[in-house]
Amino acid sequence: MPMNQEQLRELEALCVQEEAPFCVAACPLHLDVRGFMKCCAAGKWHEARKILDRGLPFPEIISRFCDAPCRPACKRGGPLGGALNIGLLERFCLSQTKSAWKAPKLPARKGKIAILGGGLSAMVAAVELSRKGFSTCLFTARPSLGGRLLDAEPPPLAALEQAAATLVGYGLEIVAGQPLELAVFTEESPAFDAFYLDLEEFAEAAPTCGFGEPVALTLALSRPGWFAGGQAKDRRFPVIQQAEDGRRAAVSIERVLQNASLTAERAKEGGYRSRLYTDISHIQPSGPIIPANPDRYTAEEAQAEAQRCLQCQCLECVKECVFLRQFKEYPKTMARKIFNTETIVQGTRSANKMINSCSLCGQCATICPNRFPLAETCLAMRQEMVRNGHMPPSAHEFALDDMAFSHSDACRLARHQPGKTTSRFLFYPGCQLAGSSPWQTQAVYQFLGEKLTGGVGLMLDCCGAPARWAGQAELFQQSLKRLAAEIRALGAPELICACATCGKLFREFLPETKVTSLWQTLDELPETPLPPLQSSGLSRTFALHDPCAARHQPEMRGAVRSLCAKLGLTLEEHDCSGERADCCGYGGLMSCANPPLAEQAAAVKRRRQGDKSTHIVYCAMCRDSLAAHGPTGHLLEYLFPQNTDDPAARPNPGYSARHENRARLKTRLLRELWREDRPEETTMVLFVSEEIRAQLEARHILEEDVRRVLADAEGKNRYLKNEAGHRLAGLRLRRVTYWVEYQPEGQGFRIHNAYSHRMILPEEQQ
Amino acid sequence: MSGFSFIAEKGWRCAACDLALEPRPVQINYLHSVFTVELLTCPGCGFALVPEELATGKMLEVEQLLEDK
Repeated sequence: MPMNQEQLRELEALCVQEEAPFCVAACPLHLDVRGFMKCCAAGKWHEARKILDRGLPFPEIISRFCDAPCRPACKRGGPLGGALNIGLLERFCLSQTKSAWKAPKLPARKGKIAILGGGLSAMVAAVELSRKGFSTCLFTARPSLGGRLLDAEPPPLAALEQAAATLVGYGLEIVAGQPLELAVFTEESPAFDAFYLDLEEFAEAAPTCGFGEPVALTLALSRPGWFAGGQAKDRRFPVIQQAEDGRRAAVSIERVLQNASLTAERAKEGGYRSRLYTDISHIQPSGPIIPANPDRYTAEEAQAEAQRCLQCQCLECVKECVFLRQFKEYPKTMARKIFNTETIVQGTRSANKMINSCSLCGQCATICPNRFPLAETCLAMRQEMVRNGHMPPSAHEFALDDMAFSHSDACRLARHQPGKTTSRFLFYPGCQLAGSSPWQTQAVYQFLGEKLTGGVGLMLDCCGAPARWAGQAELFQQSLKRLAAEIRALGAPELICACATCGKLFREFLPETKVTSLWQTLDELPETPLPPLQSSGLSRTFALHDPCAARHQPEMRGAVRSLCAKLGLTLEEHDCSGERADCCGYGGLMSCANPPLAEQAAAVKRRRQGDKSTHIVYCAMCRDSLAAHGPTGHLLEYLFPQNTDDPAARPNPGYSARHENRARLKTRLLRELWREDRPEETTMVLFVSEEIRAQLEARHILEEDVRRVLADAEGKNRYLKNEAGHRLAGLRLRRVTYWVEYQPEGQGFRIHNAYSHRMILPEEQQ
Repeated sequence: MSGFSFIAEKGWRCAACDLALEPRPVQINYLHSVFTVELLTCPGCGFALVPEELATGKMLEVEQLLEDK
């Protein structure tokens, strides 16, 4: 089912990247401290001043008197060196700049407000309300504004004078120096619609006129339209709290005048604890900058102090994931884009590529403090796109065709061990190992047959992962159903999976089937039957990479390490192993939907281990993906070496070879193990240079498809020719038209070029 | 893509008809959209050539646009 708005909001709430930094949340006025520090660190004082002007009602006053409740929340605090000195930085910035931003005055609105008192809370309420267009009048018995600020030594006279000028500029009427009789206002008075009592001025006797205590959330008194704050009888009341009260009262008064809810959506007014997560485990301590003159920084000192700011944010998943980085998103923004794509009726579904590029590996959820299920979100969207016909055909077809081939009689096999009629175990190498390392697949199967009792059957097949990843839920279910039936037909033996993905999917979707990994099986064999490493010239120290599919299979990861120890191999681990393993770019069909990104993913995964010469993996796809970026061997190639060559030197065999290897493996096994006569297949000989081979791979053109184009062209004498003796033929296979430029050479054909398109020519209509 | 001409490719002859190719308007379609492009075509049997530059360039671009509609 498509996601609805409520589900989207629940999902979005899991991602904390947009939560306020700790300092900003702790600030009662929510000054953008992070942004301010960033500007200061870069010496952009004018920009920094703008942030102060936007965030603080009277910057000169607040920067002098604020007791900085943001500092205890600062992540730089404590062992990392100490919280930043926000007060000195603000004062330095103010000393260097003139006012850089002024809130615009809004058009006049209905409602007359009386502010009773002249302390800071009254001044803040007055500035907020008068600039919003309300007719506002401030009454104070004292000769000027400022309340207890005037008691400071020296009093901030210039700043208060400037504040008064600002207030008058917004249209505030100030009535000062006249005795203030509250009774005049508490009588039914049509002159005003709302009142704010600054308790600082009325600290003496019956300050709230008998209207009870102000409610913390709204500052409302028991009499409608009356609000009070700015002082408390029973506790210390900091200046910044006065400013917060003034702002809170202004919000309440605005809501009362608009007949809006007084209480809705106010949880984040005033200081609160942010839900943001920021990893500080790798941060080096850095102590505060002590100014030579204790009262003020120099520009260099101020800049150096601001540079200690950690610029707190989360982005834990983004730091590791190439996919999130490539699309410049974090889970919250991505979920929103996915949702928006889902609701497009007409127009371009611009997020399709993004949705199909996720490897679905789940690394982000493992890293996320709230386990944001991004892979599940992308997968659900793919399934929805398939259901409603919006899945771009080109996104996954190449992989689905490859899966269909693995599912075809050409590759598929399900047998008891030669000479046995029952199977206690069933070896399931998976399509990728069979394609990448057919020799080792056969060797390990024969080895298991010798070492395990009770019969070891063999099943060459594909677990259906490509269908699952492509969002083809129905196709995946069909595939599972068939696999389950074939496993049952063999007597429901225990599956020994060489591939972490197959094992993971079978455990999840065929819960009635007992599944173990090849690695656990090998590790648990009573004696150590492992052949010694072949050549003494080979390295015995390896950089190990776990596959992403082993993320939640700790037993398998443990068995691999134990096996390597038995082989005498020294393994080097890195941060992104185990549960945090990267995908090599094959998972989720990333390599099909977004080949350049998959290349990048493989490079990043391999780079986790730096430039160490030999990398070892135990997933066939990891092996081939990483081998494209440097020597990488599969553990099975060390356990069952085919020859004395360094297995890590073998290049990525590519799509075509993997495809053909699977079919050849079946034929060879039937011939060599089950002693069946298999007719020799005559394949058309192709001469393909390395350059052209790489081009075929990049263009997702299999040599098998090239052969079919040539067979058709030569059989029907239907091709173009040129003076160089080249021939050019095109043929539509499935949903793609392939063009091959070639030339007869000896007993075969020399391939000069190949390309494809999906558009249909008139002659291909049917 | 309609109105584009891809007749730059020279030198190909139809092997079966042994005729030089000539530019002809050809209707191609994908995902319910139809375009007319000028392609080199055999005047005898109608074999139309889609050159590499078209297949991997403009045509691919349009295919992807249509797939995201």
